[in-house]
Amino acid sequence: MSLSGSPNEGGGVVSRVSTIGVAAHELKSPLVLLRQLALELRSESLTDAERDRLAWQMTHISEKALRLTSDLTKAESQPALFALEPVNPLDVARDVRTELQGIYAAHGRKLDVRRVRNLPPVIANRDLLRRILLNFADNALHYGDVEGAVQLQAQLIRERSIIRLSVRDFGPHMPVKSWRKLVDTLSEGQPVHARPQSSGLGLYISNEFARAMNGSIGAIRHADGASFYVELPVSRQLSLL
Amino acid sequence: MTERVVVVEDDVWLAEHYLRVLRRAGYETYHAGHALGAIDIIDDVRPHAVLLDVLLTGTTALALLHELRSHADLAGIPIVLATNLADQIDIEDVASYGVKRILDKATMHPDDIVAAVRGVVQS
Repeated sequence: MSLSGSPNEGGGVVSRVSTIGVAAHELKSPLVLLRQLALELRSESLTDAERDRLAWQMTHISEKALRLTSDLTKAESQPALFALEPVNPLDVARDVRTELQGIYAAHGRKLDVRRVRNLPPVIANRDLLRRILLNFADNALHYGDVEGAVQLQAQLIRERSIIRLSVRDFGPHMPVKSWRKLVDTLSEGQPVHARPQSSGLGLYISNEFARAMNGSIGAIRHADGASFYVELPVSRQLSLL
Repeated sequence: MTERVVVVEDDVWLAEHYLRVLRRAGYETYHAGHALGAIDIIDDVRPHAVLLDVLLTGTTALALLHELRSHADLAGIPIVLATNLADQIDIEDVASYGVKRILDKATMHPDDIVAAVRGVVQS
């Protein structure tokens, strides 16, 4: 499935209103959880260890919400502001793994980067690519199988001169109806329900970031989970060296 | 006898919170992260109540409710919905599925969780 296309063309006002609506929805889940944990902190029967864990969880939930607001701000910026340069995609994948390994460990989960040899660089903005992978990996953490590992994968597709960076999760598959809705709506460039609890804003933002790098995002439904990916052009300049 | 509650919630930390609150209130708790796992656990545990999120990964809560109603020995288990969609769900529309209470995640207090479970277990 390719999600490339012409999102939002001719629908600026409607899209902006829609984005605000889904942003509000997307922020609701972390705020709900944050509020519950804050209320729980007042319980007198908590042990010190439980209290520490609650405070730690609240920090991570806040960071997630802040990352979303930061991404929204970026997504509203002009694409010309994002400098494109040759980037080693596996370096970015490793950075994402490092950034998320604490929260993954807290959930008893593991985020792996599959090694690929001789992978050429892509033309990208390092920060935008990082944010896309963070979105995908965070989504996989919350909606994949509780026991399963999540993999960051890279694949060179020579005939199209692109590299596909995927986040593969393992868990209950999405119902066909939900999946079709995801495919149909994302191809229109609108925020969608990527996962049941999510408004799909993360995917919408990722799509905007990918477009700013002349790339696209997509998803593959597996029997035991899903892959969400970003495709970016190979840097021809460096790959010729 | 300790009363048993199955929590069906795919947000692991929110589930952990529910379980802690319910255990503190004296309940024996079990957790399922998705509807398919929930059916197995409910079948094994035969809980006195189920605390159920609506927007679940994979099979929806509604499918789970349908499944429970189709088994005569599970159909009577009272359900408490805890959801962000509370303002969009009318209790009368879901009462036939065994839903006795609806909690709004955005406004509920931890004590409300215990009160709701206690209310449906005792009724």
